[in-house]
Amino acid sequence: MSDTPQPVKIEPARKSGMRSASVVWIIPILALVAALFVAWQTYDDRGPLIEIKFDNGAGIARRETELRFRDVAVGVVEDVRFSPGLTGVVAEIRLDKAIAPYVDVGATFWIVRPELSARGVSGLDTVLTGVYIEGAWDGDIGPAASSFTGLTEAPLFRLGQEGLQIALRTSAGGSLTENSPITFRGIEVGRIGKAQISPEGNFAIADAIIYAPHDRLISPSTRFWDTSGFTFSVGPSGAQIDFSSFATLVSGGLTFDTFVSSANRVTDGTMFEVFSDEVSARNSLFARDETDPFEMRVVFDENISGLAVGAPVELSGLQIGRVQSVSGVIDGDRFGDERVRLNAQLSIQPSRLGLPEDVTPEEAQAYLTERIDDGLRARLASASLLAGGLKIELVQVENAPRIVIETGDGSIPIIPTTESDISDVTATIENVVGRIVDLPIEDVLNSTIQFLDSARTLLSSEDVRETPQAVRALLGDVRSIVASDDVQGIAGTLNAALLRFEGLLAQLVEDRLAERLVNAVDAAAAAADGVTASVEGVPDLLAQFQAIATKAETLPLQEFTEQLTALVASMDDIVGTDAARELPADLSAALNEMNATLRELREGGAVDNINATLNSARQAADNVAISAQDLPALVSRMEAVLSQANQTIAGYNKGEALSRDAQAAMRDLSAAADAFASLVRMLERNPSALIRGR
Amino acid sequence: MEISGQNQNFISARDLGVVACTRCTQVWPAGTQICDRCGSTIVARDEKSLQRVWALWLVGLMCYVPANTYPMLQTRTLLSVQEDTIVGGAVELIHHGAVGIAVIILIASVVIPLAKFMAIAFLAISVMRPSSVSSHHRQLLYEVVEYIGRWSMIDIFVVAIMSSLVQLNTLAAVNPGRASLFFALSVIFTMLSAQAFDSRMIWDAQTRQERNPRDE
Repeated sequence: MSDTPQPVKIEPARKSGMRSASVVWIIPILALVAALFVAWQTYDDRGPLIEIKFDNGAGIARRETELRFRDVAVGVVEDVRFSPGLTGVVAEIRLDKAIAPYVDVGATFWIVRPELSARGVSGLDTVLTGVYIEGAWDGDIGPAASSFTGLTEAPLFRLGQEGLQIALRTSAGGSLTENSPITFRGIEVGRIGKAQISPEGNFAIADAIIYAPHDRLISPSTRFWDTSGFTFSVGPSGAQIDFSSFATLVSGGLTFDTFVSSANRVTDGTMFEVFSDEVSARNSLFARDETDPFEMRVVFDENISGLAVGAPVELSGLQIGRVQSVSGVIDGDRFGDERVRLNAQLSIQPSRLGLPEDVTPEEAQAYLTERIDDGLRARLASASLLAGGLKIELVQVENAPRIVIETGDGSIPIIPTTESDISDVTATIENVVGRIVDLPIEDVLNSTIQFLDSARTLLSSEDVRETPQAVRALLGDVRSIVASDDVQGIAGTLNAALLRFEGLLAQLVEDRLAERLVNAVDAAAAAADGVTASVEGVPDLLAQFQAIATKAETLPLQEFTEQLTALVASMDDIVGTDAARELPADLSAALNEMNATLRELREGGAVDNINATLNSARQAADNVAISAQDLPALVSRMEAVLSQANQTIAGYNKGEALSRDAQAAMRDLSAAADAFASLVRMLERNPSALIRGR
Repeated sequence: MEISGQNQNFISARDLGVVACTRCTQVWPAGTQICDRCGSTIVARDEKSLQRVWALWLVGLMCYVPANTYPMLQTRTLLSVQEDTIVGGAVELIHHGAVGIAVIILIASVVIPLAKFMAIAFLAISVMRPSSVSSHHRQLLYEVVEYIGRWSMIDIFVVAIMSSLVQLNTLAAVNPGRASLFFALSVIFTMLSAQAFDSRMIWDAQTRQERNPRDE
């Protein structure tokens, strides 16, 4: 501790610049190096900037919106600005360096937004986080690009996705719903992409993808059809409503089936047609493949209602197309007046014309043009008499004036027309209707009414009313007769008579005694004449009968003679009685016999006899047929005999009051004779009727 | 008043041939290397003080740049993630009507650090060349800078407290942004820079100023 301070050594100030520098400078230098390193690294890590142009920048935010690839962020939007001319929004995206080389010219970008559809919700995460830009590119490094155009919606095909890409085309009148699922057995196996309308506007076409491994379900014979909407049908089993799924009900959808197995695989880009339903899809498989239809026009002078869109176009009765549209046309230059004409646009299917396979529409059109030169004309014809619809027929007209068809570009060629067939049909219908009108229906009705009136008056007359009573009385009489003991005996007699008749017929068969019989009957007629001459002379008559009988006995045929004798004896017995009152008793007896016979018949005893008789009768009838010419004479003579007999009996009626029953019996006998006559006539005409019973 | 009047009769310790320990304030004869009381190194003047000041000041300034450009606070709610820089957050607060808080944040995070940078730079420059500001004022400025340095971490405290309190998983979360680290570094280096300044040099410049006219 001294009061005087030591001399101060001030060495540091003399040191060199390097030595005087403080080590603390290392800190800022390190900081600087670190900052520079970080800056360099940041710059080095920074990927390239790409530009994507979108229609609108919905939800794209600077430094927030990410670019994602397979749902991993690979970039971020650095800036959003308008494109020159304000035609769109350009998002500048800083890519990650690692992924940048893959973002080549084939890359596609689209904005993922939340989407709520009938099939469900997608992109829900973007509700909270905001939209993001999804990119798709393949794993190969291609030519670099820095400017892209974003897609308006997510593409159907994402690069690297396995699947079969096909094109779907609507059939005529069909529809396609874009972004709808393709289901198979209810499972979504593919999607329809964005649909486009063909340049001609006659069908829609859409890309579609069938995801692997379902693409093996598709073969060239696969048919697609629309499952959207629902079908409602009422059948025997009740009402039925069908729809595939709720999603397809609302948003539409397709399904497909391969009706005919095929080993061929389908390559990407194959075109398939979409049918409206399964039936038409199935039918189409067996029809020829349809090619693109071509269009032609027809202008009809007549304005005839009934030609509707979809009406068939026929060539030689074969449908080759359909009416696509119907409109009126006024073309003063072409037709010379200002009338409205019927303009029908036809869609003609070339493959239906019967031309060779893979015919093009142009070839088919050329063919039709050629035919038109030869006189092919279009005309309206009735498609259906009941429905009244019209169709268009292409018919060959002989000596048709030559017409030049314009087939220039832009205008649809017009098929010349000829007189329509429709008026003929109308005339025919009118004819038919006229004839129906001309039928004398009223006269017939009047006659019928008159007839019915007469019938009513007849029926309401007293006589007719009494008829039942008379009939009843008659029946009562008949019953009393039948019930009487006498009638009981008739059957036996009748049986005997039948037996004899059988024998007689057999005899007739054997000996062809018709002529002799005729003679005999002639004699009988003569005898009857005698009888007629005098009632009192009945014994004489009988004597003559006796004589005839004796004569007959002299005939060589013993049996016949005996029977005839017996017959005449019976007649003698009947007629020869003094008291005509006994006649009923005999009749009763005869009826008794008949009754017994009937009983026997019922019991079957006489059936054999009858059979035998009928057999004989058949043979006799055969013979009768042979000598048919004789029978009429015989019959007439018999009739004469019987009428004489009738008169004779009528003569009896004068003296002694014969009972009504007897008279009736006589009448019946007469009727029986008539019936027999008719029977004989019938047999004459048709002998075999005896056998067949008709 | 009194300070300005003392200028003329001011004598530094070096002029008296003594040196004080900066740690325990024990006065030793000039040339003493080690303080016998506390064992710290004793120098009359820290020749490398200015270099350290400038070096640390530079690092502090470097850190201050990202502290303002990077987000200070990351607020993540269910729907969005918000990252705010210091100034941006303050502006947003003004938009929300909280002008008072915004002013506090701006003063604590922008005005004071910037003022510190400027104050240190001014002090470092003023010891090397003549200054119109009196030595007493500069001493006062230095003491204020030294004192206020420890409060500059208020932003970091806020971020730390918020981050630890608001952690509701998916619903909401507050995380410190990258700027908080740089801001903290900036504050630290600024404090170190201020400490590195040897305030005795203020007075050396004073004496030099007084001597020079006398030399002439």
